[in-house]
Formats: sequence, C-alpha cells, structure tokens
Amino acid sequence: MAKTVLQFTLLFIALVLAQVLVFNRLYLFETALPLAFIYFILRLPVTMSTIWVMTLSFVMGLTIDIFSDTAGMNALACTVLAVMRLPVLRLYFPREEDLTIPEPSMRSLGAGVYMKYAMSMSLLYCMLYFAIEAFSLFNPLTLVLRIFGSSVLTFIVIMCIDSLMNQRSEKRL
Amino acid sequence: MRNLFNFLLRYRAWIVFMVYVVISCALLFDRNPYQHHVYMTSASAVSGGVYDVANSVTGYFHLRSINDDLQRRNAQLESEVIALRSKVDALELDISADSMTVAEPLKEFDFILAPVINNSITHPYNFITISRGEADGVIPEMGVVDQNGVVGVVNVTGKNYSRIISLLNPDFRLSCKLKGSDVFGSLVWDGRNPREALLEELPKHTVFAPGDTIITSGYSAVFPEGIPVGTVRCNERNSDDNFFTLRVELLTDFSKLSTVRLVVSKNRDQIKAIETSATK
Repeated sequence: MAKTVLQFTLLFIALVLAQVLVFNRLYLFETALPLAFIYFILRLPVTMSTIWVMTLSFVMGLTIDIFSDTAGMNALACTVLAVMRLPVLRLYFPREEDLTIPEPSMRSLGAGVYMKYAMSMSLLYCMLYFAIEAFSLFNPLTLVLRIFGSSVLTFIVIMCIDSLMNQRSEKRL
Repeated sequence: MRNLFNFLLRYRAWIVFMVYVVISCALLFDRNPYQHHVYMTSASAVSGGVYDVANSVTGYFHLRSINDDLQRRNAQLESEVIALRSKVDALELDISADSMTVAEPLKEFDFILAPVINNSITHPYNFITISRGEADGVIPEMGVVDQNGVVGVVNVTGKNYSRIISLLNPDFRLSCKLKGSDVFGSLVWDGRNPREALLEELPKHTVFAPGDTIITSGYSAVFPEGIPVGTVRCNERNSDDNFFTLRVELLTDFSKLSTVRLVVSKNRDQIKAIETSATK
C-alpha cells in the first residue's frame, strides 16, 4: 500500500515536471500539443473510489494550470475525465473486477484493450481541453485540427512513457 | 435529518464532482488577470523556482540568434549615435550653450533587466514569467520591452518572480501610432498567429503603406513614446467601417525571449495621481 502511494507520488511529480518543462513547449505545427500528464489518471487503480480519483485528477489539473497559467482549464477537464474513466474502460473491458492487478496496464488488460483505452482517453481529454479553450477563442477548423493532432500526439507520448515504465518494472522483477 | 445524511451519503460522489467543477469554472471565468492571486499563477515561489532551475539549462538555447539581434541593434544604435553626434556638433556651433534645451523623453525612464523563465505563445491568453519580483523593485503595470520591441506589461508580482501579460493576450491593448504621424490606434492580438497582431481604431483618413513602422504612442505612463512594435503588413478590412484595422507584423519574436527590460517610469506616481484626480 505505502509502496503504491509512493510510486504514484513520484509518477505525479515526474509527469508534472515533464509536462510543464518539456511537453508544453512541444506544440507541433501549432496544432499538436501532447497532454501526456493524463497518464497519471489512466494508471490510477480501478478499485480506488471515484471521489479519490476525482480529487487526485483535480489536483493534477490544478497543478498544471498553476504552472502554465491556464486558470481552471486543465482542472475542469481532468475532473470530467476522472468521472468518464471507468465508463470508457468498461467499453473495452466489461468487468473490471476480473483484473488481477488493479492498475490498468499493458500487462493487466492486454496490449489491444490497453491501447484502445489510452487512445479513447487521449481523444476524450483533448476534446474536453480544446472545447474549454474554445470558450475564449472559437475557430472551428483549428479546433478540429488541434483535437485530432493533439490526441494522436498525446497517445504516442503516453505509449512512450508506458514502455519506459514497463522496462523499469521488468528490471525490478 | 437522517434523510439528509442519507442523501449526502448516497450522492457524495456527485457533490464532490460539482464542487470541483464549480471551483474550476470560477477560476476559468475569472477574466480579470490583474486580480489573480500570486499563488494561482506561474509567479508563485514553487512554480517560479522550478522554471528558474530549468531556465538555467534552456536559457542558453537561443543565444546565437539573440546575439545576432543584439549585434544588429548595436550597429543601428552606433550609426544613430554617430549621426546624432555630428548633428550636435553642428548645432553647438550655431547655438550658445546656455540657451540650448534638449528634449529627452527617455530621461524619465529607467530599466530593470529580467531573465524570462517561462513563456507561452500557443494559448489564447499568453503569459510570461520572469525571475524578478517585488524584492527587485518590480510593481504591477510596468511596461516590458526587449531588444526588438514591446513584450507586454507586468500584472502579478511575487517576492522573487512576476508574471507578465504578453502582447499575445487579448486582455492587453497597447496604444500605438504610425511612425512619423500622430494618428494613434490600439494594438491587440487576435489569437491566430504569434507573429502578427491587429492595429484597430485607426482613423479613416490615415495614410499608410505596407512596411511602415508602428511605435508606442506614449499616451500612458507604462511605455515611453517611440518604442518600436511592428511593421504594417496589410489592411485587414475594407468595409464601410469608420476606422482602419491594420494587420501588423510584430518585431518581437515571442518564441525566443530570453532577457527583457522592465520600464521604470520616474513620473508614474505623478501621472497616476493626475489621472485618478481627474476622473473623480
């Protein structure tokens, strides 16, 4: 238990730093922004209560907001994403009680399901984020391009982070 | 009472969800950037510190192009100095020293140098963080320039860090005029391209050509008159408006900011006092 808490705390800090120092500056062609910190929300155990998932996601979003001066945008999108997490997972994996390891991962879900789950969550988050951004600046074509460009890039970066994490855990075993 | 508890217990997840959504929306729709608390911005001690450490590495990345900019500016200033010196020499022969008065608007301004530690150009509302704060004499509403032109205006100050509203932020309007004429308009970013902005409310009788320089008007205590801002690219609207809207190419390259200068106006307090007493 304590080990899991420590692992997620480290993951939280590492993802915040990576997002604000690296990914926020990687705006490819001004359309694709990797919002890879949602990897933290993806990996929270399915056995965790919704209230805790929402709280952690909200804190994550708020931290990113404070660093990138986007007042409330990520916090709102993260809270909604936290609520949508289990319904999205159930689309591809109907009974999450069957999981041997409570954290959704390549190993516990299988590569295909996990990738579909990660892709859907990336798309959902990018839709939420850019829709909220469009409150202040609406431009339909840019909006659609940004949603698709960013969700693809977010998905790719998440898969990269995932393979890094897996390498580390395999070494430990 | 028990029903109430049961209700709260059953819907606690929804209640928590609503609380978070309301907090987020409150932050999101609070559109007055001058009222943000320093802890909720990138100028707070933690985020400022993180960006400061990262900047000690990334600060070296654009030095070559910045150096080129500085060389160019230096050459330009040097030739200006030579031209002015010869002019002064010529004038000194004509006018006796005691009757000569030199108008120097820049005498009323000082500068604070500040390293940029965080900057964005991709959001609809962009901000810049610098590692100078109240301890260095930074106060809100100071103008910010770099070697190429106007950058923005300070809006939140912490002890050691401050946040600047970038020119690439629709909340910031800058009073500008065409170089060589006294017609002025208001420069604002339309959120599309980080290299361009719009100069609005320019009277219809204005004569201009693409390539003309836009400078600050000096109609406030924030910026001195005559700081370069951009060059005219084209006329944006040809409709029946009573005003011209020009598309302006900005001189400042916001993707490569490294060190900026904060304008300290020595007469600021006086001007402010006059302005507030006049509106009462």
